[in-house]
Amino acid sequence: MRDIFLRLVVGGLLGLLANPLTFVHAQTDNDNSEVDAADAAVSGLSQAELMEAMTLTSRAFRNATNRVAPSLVTIESYGGVSAVQGRIGGIRKQGEGNTTGIVISSDGYILTSTFNFIQRPPVISIILADGKRHFAQLVGRDDTRKICLLKIDGPTDLPVPEMVDESKVKVGQWAISLGVGYGDTSPAMSTGIISAKNRIGGRAIQTDANISPANYGGPLIDIEGRVLGICVPMNPQSQAVGAGVEWYDSGIGFAVPLANAEKLLDRLKAGEYIRPAFMGIQSGPNPLGDGILINKVNPNSPASRLKLEEGDILISINDKRVNDMLRLKQLINRFEAGETIRITVERKSTGKEEKLELPLDPPPSNAKEPLAVPKIR
Amino acid sequence: MNTFGWRIALLVGCMVLTASNHPVFAQQKALPSFIDQAISKSQPKMVKVFGASAGKVEGFATGIIVSKDGLILSSQGVFLDGRQVKVVLADGAEHIATILKRDRETQLSLLKIQAVTPSFFELSAESVGKKGDWVIALSNAFKVADKDEPVSAMLGVISLRTTMEARLTKRDVAYRGELVLIDAITSNPGASGGAVITPDGSLVGIVGKIINSSETNTRLNYAVPTQVLHEFVAGKASVNGEAQPVTEQQDVEFGVVLFKLGGRNNPAYIDRVVRGSPAAKAKLKSDDMIVSIAGEKIGNLKDYAESLKSLRPEEEVLMIVKRGVEMVRVRIAPRLKK
Repeated sequence: MRDIFLRLVVGGLLGLLANPLTFVHAQTDNDNSEVDAADAAVSGLSQAELMEAMTLTSRAFRNATNRVAPSLVTIESYGGVSAVQGRIGGIRKQGEGNTTGIVISSDGYILTSTFNFIQRPPVISIILADGKRHFAQLVGRDDTRKICLLKIDGPTDLPVPEMVDESKVKVGQWAISLGVGYGDTSPAMSTGIISAKNRIGGRAIQTDANISPANYGGPLIDIEGRVLGICVPMNPQSQAVGAGVEWYDSGIGFAVPLANAEKLLDRLKAGEYIRPAFMGIQSGPNPLGDGILINKVNPNSPASRLKLEEGDILISINDKRVNDMLRLKQLINRFEAGETIRITVERKSTGKEEKLELPLDPPPSNAKEPLAVPKIR
Repeated sequence: MNTFGWRIALLVGCMVLTASNHPVFAQQKALPSFIDQAISKSQPKMVKVFGASAGKVEGFATGIIVSKDGLILSSQGVFLDGRQVKVVLADGAEHIATILKRDRETQLSLLKIQAVTPSFFELSAESVGKKGDWVIALSNAFKVADKDEPVSAMLGVISLRTTMEARLTKRDVAYRGELVLIDAITSNPGASGGAVITPDGSLVGIVGKIINSSETNTRLNYAVPTQVLHEFVAGKASVNGEAQPVTEQQDVEFGVVLFKLGGRNNPAYIDRVVRGSPAAKAKLKSDDMIVSIAGEKIGNLKDYAESLKSLRPEEEVLMIVKRGVEMVRVRIAPRLKK
């Protein structure tokens, strides 16, 4: 359950202040200072003014939403894998409705979440904010960030929203998630704060605003209506396409920042399919000391090509020591398939440490190519 | 963040809920007592409802008092189906309620207890609150409050006011009226029938039964808006379901037979084109997938059937089909169904 009181303070009392973080910062050290900070923050404000502050924040939410709304699109998909077997995250099956995307270039590039294409639809169309429908092509996708790039042809003057550089994002600042997944042309909003930065291998920021299939692919914006990131389902423990859905509307939500992502976008525009990194080892903690004990090496994997063996001990990745499984996952998550890492391994056969270069593969189960979407006549 | 969260929770918990008599906060005059006031003003209007349970389905809910003579609004549920329904007022007094009416479509119920209830919510005939406004949800989710304990308060904003199709998790009952979606998490056992209020204490609506959005297949956090409650209590026959004007329906067809094996949620693939039909003249082919008719999305067989109902014979429309890897646009006029 979300921390309503956090929002109460940040929202209600300090709505007039530019940055709610000031309050959070003011009381980091000892418990007595909390009272002082709260006292200082509200002193001199009457009940009427506090009420007014709440009204003003509501107005700011609406203004911010209206500012980005012209860049929001509704994505429709047709057909595809009709019955998804079992569950996707916590959801029995995917909804039937439309999903959200956001314009990122005036000539028709649109970003959205890969979650919206779990069913691999053969036809995708997009309704722009002006109500016009265009058929779209799936151009590129990045499974490490759970985003994909669509392109529509025709329009040349689409409104591109302002993006906020991640380095300027502060923990504690307002965050508003938007999406058209509930089927209304007007987006549904949920408000909260930025909970953390540098999540999921440095690819995402975290928020307590509600994130769910209703707004996957939609923007997370700040109180000025600038885009902080694109809402996606994520779970640091799993790279599966639906992982993270089980946390929908839980107060744990993620968004992928887009400012300074030109390199990434160029790769997606060129049709690249970016996939998570896979080493090909099954491992556990080393009961006899430091490092990770390799229990099994997958055949035809990067590890098997380097002739790693059961009983070898992985000491470090790119000179960073690995001593537990979570750390291993964290380190590997920072890379993508195709990149090469340097590993240090203590060989069981010789007892000696070796430094090796290991080119990473995509996970074998995830090897399907993205679907080609038909050209428009 | 966790520690911040806790500290702030404690801090505000003290400020808002128990503020006045705690020694640390005693001298502070400028605390946000308007929220405290809105909540404490509303607590006497809240009731806890207990009844039958069935298996895993909870036998409790929340309710709101809507008249001075003991009228109580709550949601539908199995708790109404037992031998008796017990209502616990804010002061802990227990009453046995009679069920005056229950409505399948809005999933509301109206109960009556033999008691004088001076504090009650006014049901506005006009909608209250707009998107982005702060709201407070009051409910006895998870039966946290016992006897005379106040029900739980949660803060959120109105996410969207919209008319949408939503359905219950088990039986396929659809609610098609206006919903006030909120971002406080109210889709939990026992919360239904709770109050959603503005910071000045006006009623936005009551927390609805747990339903899933058919668009997203996720649980909705929402309120049934006050104007719907007003109509329900006032006893108007149809709430938000104004009778469709009966018009002479002329069934039309294109002259195609669609693949029907996969059920109504399958895309509209053409199996066979009837010779001499409008479809044949428009050169539609087997295996074409119908994607759009007259500007409307055709996502599946259900959409296709709906779309046909809105078309008139001999009136030309634009149809888009996917053929192989191409999108093909054709102009086609349906004919009167034979």
